[in-house]
Amino acid sequence: MVVKITQIILSPVLALIVGVFFLGLARKIMARIHWRYGPPLIQPVIDMIRLFYQKSVSHGRMFDLGIVLSLAGSIVVVLFLPFGRMCPLSNSGGLLVILYIMLLAPLGLALSGGQGANPNISIGISRKLILSLGYEVPLLLVLLSVMTHYKTISIVEMVNVQQSTGWSIASWPLFLSGLSYFLILPAILSIRPFDMTSAPQEISSGPMVEYGGKYLALAAIEHAFVLFISIALFVNLFLGGADNIFYFFVKMLVVFMLGLCINAVFPRFRIEQAIKYLWKWPTLLAFLGLIMTLM
Amino acid sequence: MSLEILLIIAFGGALLTYLLGKISHRLRDSFAVIISLALVAIIACLYGRFVEKTFYSGFLGIPLILRLNMLSWFFAIAISALGALSVIFSLSYVKGREGTDLYYLMMLVVNAAMLGIVFSGDLVSLFIFWEIMSWSTFLLISYNRGPALAAGMKYIVMSIAGSLAMLIGILSLYVSFNTLNISQIASVVGSASSGYILFILTAFGIAFGIKNAVLPFHTWLPDAHSEAPAPFSAVLSGILIKMGTYGFLLLLYVIMGLKLFLGLGSGIFSFHSVLCFLGAVTIIIPTFIAMLQTDAKRLLAWSTIGQAGYIILGIAFGTNLALAGGIFHFFNHALFKALLFLAIGAVEFRTHTRDLDSLGGLAKKMPVVFIATLVGICALIGVPLTNGFVSKWLIYKTLILEGSPFLAFCALVGTWGTILYSYKLIHNVFLGQLPEKYKDIQKSPLSMQLPMMVLSLAILLFGILPGIPLKVINSIGTSFGFESLNVTLWGITSETGALNTINIFSAVLAAGIIVWILFRLGAKSVSVAHDDSYAAGAYTPVDKYHYTAEFYNPLYRMIKPFLRDVIDEFYYWIASSVRSFAGSVRHIYSGDVGHYVMYIILFLSLLIFVQMRWKVW
Repeated sequence: MVVKITQIILSPVLALIVGVFFLGLARKIMARIHWRYGPPLIQPVIDMIRLFYQKSVSHGRMFDLGIVLSLAGSIVVVLFLPFGRMCPLSNSGGLLVILYIMLLAPLGLALSGGQGANPNISIGISRKLILSLGYEVPLLLVLLSVMTHYKTISIVEMVNVQQSTGWSIASWPLFLSGLSYFLILPAILSIRPFDMTSAPQEISSGPMVEYGGKYLALAAIEHAFVLFISIALFVNLFLGGADNIFYFFVKMLVVFMLGLCINAVFPRFRIEQAIKYLWKWPTLLAFLGLIMTLM
Repeated sequence: MSLEILLIIAFGGALLTYLLGKISHRLRDSFAVIISLALVAIIACLYGRFVEKTFYSGFLGIPLILRLNMLSWFFAIAISALGALSVIFSLSYVKGREGTDLYYLMMLVVNAAMLGIVFSGDLVSLFIFWEIMSWSTFLLISYNRGPALAAGMKYIVMSIAGSLAMLIGILSLYVSFNTLNISQIASVVGSASSGYILFILTAFGIAFGIKNAVLPFHTWLPDAHSEAPAPFSAVLSGILIKMGTYGFLLLLYVIMGLKLFLGLGSGIFSFHSVLCFLGAVTIIIPTFIAMLQTDAKRLLAWSTIGQAGYIILGIAFGTNLALAGGIFHFFNHALFKALLFLAIGAVEFRTHTRDLDSLGGLAKKMPVVFIATLVGICALIGVPLTNGFVSKWLIYKTLILEGSPFLAFCALVGTWGTILYSYKLIHNVFLGQLPEKYKDIQKSPLSMQLPMMVLSLAILLFGILPGIPLKVINSIGTSFGFESLNVTLWGITSETGALNTINIFSAVLAAGIIVWILFRLGAKSVSVAHDDSYAAGAYTPVDKYHYTAEFYNPLYRMIKPFLRDVIDEFYYWIASSVRSFAGSVRHIYSGDVGHYVMYIILFLSLLIFVQMRWKVW
């Protein structure tokens, strides 16, 4: 019981630290690829603390509640994800539940943004929702192949099987699925080339435009969590999870670095181009993966 | 209390309501509410009873039977509860309009007829109640006149086609087995040839498919749902189309039985997989069409078709989890779709429009309606802690574990499409800026808020404690011969992945509280007016200044060419060809007696010729 409670408290904190570290690292590496020096590694932390003490505007009850719901949703997802040997609430519905709770974060942001009554926000959310429909098609195929392959919906079970029989990305059909997941990872995170949802130059950061002060801080924390969740999911499903937390984070770091290199050199897609891309190559790979899993 | 007294109360109460309306409107209103609430109370008391009883044996020598079991009780309680809530909502909705006596009469008659359908123990009474329901529905859909008349006509034509198919099925069953008692047919139907069973399934399947709006029989629904008065749209979408679901359950599991149903045909050409496939298509296509709609009720109507697909998929898949998911989703859909239709009705009542492009910002003016809509769309999407999540989870789980990932894929993509149109609904109506003309809009009346609050609470209750309805559903499943599920109050336990809603609930609650405290700890925010927003230093227009028209424009451009309603066009083509054929036949009747004499002579000479040539007579 005590162990469980410690895990429940510990896992979101660890996820937050890792997520924020990744955010800082991303800025640093991106700068180096662009031949700049870049901000210090702990810049995101400094920003968040500073933002908490700054003034902000509120557009109403939903505007506040939406952002709270969004961050709370992300924290809950972390509780359902196994990392290392830790998985506080694993036995509550498996991957399907994770998939659905992952909805709370964008839904909360969308509701909060909608209350903001700014056309930039609406455009950003509209793009975000279209984009999510775009990447959910391959993502669902990928998750279905994994669940069909292991004949379970429990993510802990999948990790356990991989611990004994080897990583799933090393087996044929799931290699395609894993590749597909990796290709859509930037879209899930809405980072370049898929950052049309919050393009600063076009629509003034889209959903973020009315946020200031603590709202922006919470949104940044939420982003760190999303970063953590989508990479951790990849590690759990395809790289066999890990025996302990340290290995788990090493694996996450490798995946993140690889993704970042793609992210740094691509220009931004338009939303139609993004959908066309997402529904072409990643979907095809995921589809092939699912068919091969079934055979 | 016996069932015939219940039905007498239901039908008699409807008539009495009509007569009371001639005396006083207030008396009529309160009587209608009392009758519909009394029905809920009586049916609730019948829980767990099993009755089968002949109430009239003189109908052409066929005994008419009423019966009650868990399945009919579950449908009956949903029917009566939704009926009562929609009558309460109607109180202020139809106040001061013409023909309200007839409106209440028909509302209560539809209610009573649906109760009759689920309590029927033989196919004749089923058919009679089915027809009463269809015709009174027609009158209610056309209540608003104008375009509603055309919608009603479309409905009744398709409905009659369905009834005819059902009549053929009933007659054929009577000829073959010499009985129309449902349980007697069920005991002898196993001896029939599989071709005959397929014929029966198709005949009844068309009737139930039209009511349930399964593709390709869905075309009446979008018009009917959007044109009907809002409280009746709620009944229509929530429960009336589910009579098709009840029909399918009766046909597939009570009459045919599990073994016969699953054993029909083989591989992907079996009846069971064709029905699953239809269910999956019914989920996908209407979901995408719903995104394109600009009329709030039309959007919900297409969404209804899509959600009906989940129910059919669950029922047709034929495992205990899928069946439980299908029946549970019927119940959940009744709750949340009724809620959404009522909420949009409340908005329409105040603003006199349901055009998604011109509304906006009503959240602050109508907070209760906004919260109701929020709960409704969360359940529609299937956000955890609403009831919609549990039923969808059951369906997905069984589809995945039984090795049908493509069906699961259709169901899941349907859900992600649902997010798009539900967000469009809530954003375009309630969020964003309030147009100038709705500045002095009033809150909705209490009689409208009350049903919405009840439905919202029910959605959350059954989402957090799904065991309450699942217990009833489980006993329906076991009565069909399925293995029992391990239902607990907060979900389902099993080795292949359990569901525990109480864990999710406490996690969300705890995380929410922590984040809320964090939020409160930060520097205080200043509340600003809705038009005080960032526009990069430019002037912000006073009237509506946010983006709602063509909300998913880039997506429209991509998918619109693929989303023509070909089936609807096909039906219209049939209708117009019949009309032009009839038009040309009409020319025979020229009105000239000489022509008619000529027809008679020609016909006689034809007969004489036939007789001389072939000697038929």
